[in-house]
Amino acid sequence: MPKTLSALSARMDLLQSLSGLLLVLFIWAHMFFESSILLGEDAMYAVSRMFEGEPLFGKPYPLLVSAAGIAVFLLVAVHAVLALRKFPGSSRQYQLLNRHLGVIRHEDTTLWYVQVITGFCLFFLIPAHLYTVITQPENIGPYASADRVWSERFWIVYALLLLTVHVHAAIGVYRLVMKWYAPTGVQAGRTRARLKRGMWCILAFFILLGTASLLTYMRIGYQHADSAGERYRPASAPVGAR
Amino acid sequence: MEIIYTDVLVIGGGLAGQRAAIGAKRRGHETIVLSLVPAKRSHSAAAQGGMQASLGNCLGASGDNEDIHFADTVRGSDWGADQHVVRMFTHTAPKAIRELAAWGVPWNRVQRGEHEITVDGQKRTIAESDAAHGLITSRNFGGTGKWRACYVSDGTGHAMLYTMSNQAIAAGIPVHERMEALALIHDGGRCCGAIVRNLQSGKLLAYVARATCIATGGYGRIYRVSTNAVINEGMGAAIALETGIASLGNMEAIQFHPTAIVPAGILVTEGCRGDGGLLLDAAGHRFMPDYEPQKMELASRDVVSRRMEEHIAAGHGVQGRFGEHLWLDIRLLGKAHIERNLREVKEICHYFLGIDPVRDLIPVRPAQHYSMGGIRTDHRGQSPQLRGLFAAGESACWDIHGFNRLGGNSVAETVVAGMIVGDSIADFCDSPEGELQVSTALVEEFGQRERQRLAGIGSGNGGESAFELTRLMQDTMTGNVGIFRHGDRLREAVDTLQELQCRAANITLRSSAPGANPELVAAYRLQRMLKLAQCTAYGALQRTESRGAHYRADYPRRNDGEWLRRTLATWPAPEATLPSLDYEALDIMTMELPPGWRGYGDKDHIAHPDTERRKHQISAALAPLGDSADRYTRQQALMPFEHLLPPHLRRRNQRLGDES
Amino acid sequence: MNRIPVQEVRRSLQIRILRHNPHDPASKPCLQTFELEEAESMTLFIALNEIRQTMDPSLQFDFVCRAGICGSCGMIINGRPGLACRTLTRNLPECITLAPLPGFELIGDLSVNTGKWMRGMSERLETWVHQRDLDRADIDQLEERMEPDLAERIYELERCIECGCCIAACGTARMREDFVGAVGLNQIMRFRLDPRDERSDADFYALVGDESGVFGCMTLLGCEDYCPKDLPLAAQIAFLRRRMVATGA
Repeated sequence: MPKTLSALSARMDLLQSLSGLLLVLFIWAHMFFESSILLGEDAMYAVSRMFEGEPLFGKPYPLLVSAAGIAVFLLVAVHAVLALRKFPGSSRQYQLLNRHLGVIRHEDTTLWYVQVITGFCLFFLIPAHLYTVITQPENIGPYASADRVWSERFWIVYALLLLTVHVHAAIGVYRLVMKWYAPTGVQAGRTRARLKRGMWCILAFFILLGTASLLTYMRIGYQHADSAGERYRPASAPVGAR
Repeated sequence: MEIIYTDVLVIGGGLAGQRAAIGAKRRGHETIVLSLVPAKRSHSAAAQGGMQASLGNCLGASGDNEDIHFADTVRGSDWGADQHVVRMFTHTAPKAIRELAAWGVPWNRVQRGEHEITVDGQKRTIAESDAAHGLITSRNFGGTGKWRACYVSDGTGHAMLYTMSNQAIAAGIPVHERMEALALIHDGGRCCGAIVRNLQSGKLLAYVARATCIATGGYGRIYRVSTNAVINEGMGAAIALETGIASLGNMEAIQFHPTAIVPAGILVTEGCRGDGGLLLDAAGHRFMPDYEPQKMELASRDVVSRRMEEHIAAGHGVQGRFGEHLWLDIRLLGKAHIERNLREVKEICHYFLGIDPVRDLIPVRPAQHYSMGGIRTDHRGQSPQLRGLFAAGESACWDIHGFNRLGGNSVAETVVAGMIVGDSIADFCDSPEGELQVSTALVEEFGQRERQRLAGIGSGNGGESAFELTRLMQDTMTGNVGIFRHGDRLREAVDTLQELQCRAANITLRSSAPGANPELVAAYRLQRMLKLAQCTAYGALQRTESRGAHYRADYPRRNDGEWLRRTLATWPAPEATLPSLDYEALDIMTMELPPGWRGYGDKDHIAHPDTERRKHQISAALAPLGDSADRYTRQQALMPFEHLLPPHLRRRNQRLGDES
Repeated sequence: MNRIPVQEVRRSLQIRILRHNPHDPASKPCLQTFELEEAESMTLFIALNEIRQTMDPSLQFDFVCRAGICGSCGMIINGRPGLACRTLTRNLPECITLAPLPGFELIGDLSVNTGKWMRGMSERLETWVHQRDLDRADIDQLEERMEPDLAERIYELERCIECGCCIAACGTARMREDFVGAVGLNQIMRFRLDPRDERSDADFYALVGDESGVFGCMTLLGCEDYCPKDLPLAAQIAFLRRRMVATGA
């Protein structure tokens, strides 16, 4: 009798998790680079030049940033499409799910629902952010970014993005571990509790880090508001310049 | 009325019923199983500690064989058992366990090397051999000469039932769940199926079958304090009784399990004591060795329960909030052992008592546990009075348990009886006897009768409550027909039950909800349960001796001279309030093991004159064989039984060390 | 010695039950409140029977073993799926809300048809040992040997009582009616572990390698958290997912 099932299901399930994992790693790395502003404008300037390939090619190529932005966008798209399979697909399913959430008191189910909601928000927020990155790759730098944050009022988008993306990512990583390598044995419960505590710590860390950076950009943007549009010139020679 | 036709109708979806169904189905007969509940929820699942089968694999079991299992079982029964059937049973039990092992039951296995065990309150170290490694292991149980209870932690019944149910599903046997048989259809000599009520919709329908097998378990719920599941109301036995033709055997033989937790009455397994647990009194004193120096905590259940009640009556019970009780101490077994081999016990203690048996004592007191009696059958599992009616498992009095069942012999019986009876059902269906001509008129007549009975209950306005009367019946049975019985109390019980039966005719229903209507269910079951209770109480009153679990304080001795007989109860007429009792003598002259002392309990009994004659006969039969004859030959000389078994179950059982 | 906590003051319990009788066309689902005095060591089994016997004889619910072994009495107790028979009222607040397990056909009030669902699952996943010539197994010879440790590991998964709590707790099962749930996936793992079952991972992939099987699971972990038998369901499903990806992808 064995009916033959295609390999598609397995691949999609794996791909959803892998794309999510890559995106999480990306966003965490992104946070560290972005928060270089906390170390001063020069540090942030050096990081932005680095991503434009200056250390490698001798001069910056902002198109590299565009390319990276497109790659991330594609990854997000893949992840979103795969995740959509698991969203309630009809109003009936949506109703059933809502009733379930109303009846059953269960933390991890709630966490997942938070991911559904944040995922939905990110569906709009990420493209908004990536659009500027892809179309204006050269406008990333201590002043350019700060001007966008303050003078162009992008801080609203970034604040929302900061919150949603990190909630989504931290829960996602915890759920990823449970999905593929749920702890086993007599200590399973304790290990899981630790994982969850780890998840909250990571979330708190990145929210704090992100908020601090965002406030810094806002401060710089505020101070630089009169000469918005002007680009940053490093005081010393750029790090890594040949 | 909707009529469903099938070859074989099995009423009851526990181990016995499903194994019989598989047997019949394999032989090519269409089989339907009816079950009050989803089959995997049957009470078989509650068997915890183990299944007896003389595999003889582990050290404590070495040297075990059918002969020892046979002798233990007959002694356990206080010579009330049918010895031919016990032979069939002990011979087939190892096959049953091996079949289940092949089908997927994860029996605990022998681990080579040293183990720490607890015996008589002391830690000891034993070493299992390499040769036995990986074979099915077993634990010690009460009343047995060897460690013979094969187990799956303490979820033995659960594992067996799931494997059995899955095999039944694999065989494509339909289980009609939430169906209750209300009456057997018969023409006075031949059973042709049953009138059945759908417990979801309340509709009646008829199942017409060439062979009908009842495997509905025991009737423990006629007692207030019972380890039994709430569905164990004996409806299978009751509908057989209500035919007025089929007889019930030894209904007064009721087992009380020593260790039910107080107050819930939930069982904790005999494996607790088998593995080394002790019974303590209020002073923390281990009292069983005082009464039973040989077997101590591991005498048979009837003896241990009686000694416990005796000890409580002597003022040594613990005064608890729910009355008096004693302690079961398994702390000495250690955390690791309890969490591996007694995890169900730990769970029950945690949820129902809020204690941890690793650190705390468990409050226990004997409670009704098992019905040795049931539908009387011949060795093939068929009612001698009603052709086409079969019974297997606890609902039957096939009679391997006599007046006391050994722990671990019940699940063993379910499967073994299922194997043997399943085959004999198939034989019956294949024979000319199995042909069935039944008129629709007969089916309609029975259907009409049941419909009227239900309508009668629904329209009654005598004001009696089914729930209240059930409680009174249960109190009467627990109070007057318990471990210690006395003529006066039994007479009182018989009178009360007669009165309750009259009152039960005046039940008024408060609810007429469409569908199953639980109140209606309680009402019609009560009327049937009262009859079973009366067979029990009246049978106990008439039996003026003490045998096995039936203990008469006014007749404390076993009396083989007068009472080596099986009680047969029939219900003479629907309006009768007492059963007619008849007795079937057990012939000592055909016994392999003539009556004697059990090796525990009271030594004093009144012997039958045949006992000595049979002993001489046995010596004479064995003498010419000499010492060189093997045990098979010796057994054959005393009581041949193989011919009674289906041919494919006759071969010898291989054991470790035997040539294959 | 007696360590059972004593409760001095008797509480009055308000038990709210979601009632509905599908066999009665006039019946509409509604919450009905019953008041009763709490007793010592009272379980929901005792409380519900008392309600039926003294207040409303039409109340439907299922109990069989009343010892937490058979899995009949799963219901939603204050928002959590669990076995009613072994739930002591003293561990609950005074107001107790009971609802039937969702995800199963309603028979009436608190009674649901888990049996039908579980049988369907068993038939679909073929939850039995698959072995050629199983019905001709030689039962006179010594049984096949098995490592003691393996037998115990199989029993660990065999302990499932098919009570339906994992299905009721599962958001996936709510949205996808064909989802086999933790109970089904656990069965697959149980037979996969069993050397007596000759099925390969490819055979198991054919049974659960899609969105109604292991890839439908969204790791909401309701099963893990509400399993009355504390089965290691999350770890089993995670392991099965890895095996099935290795087999299928």
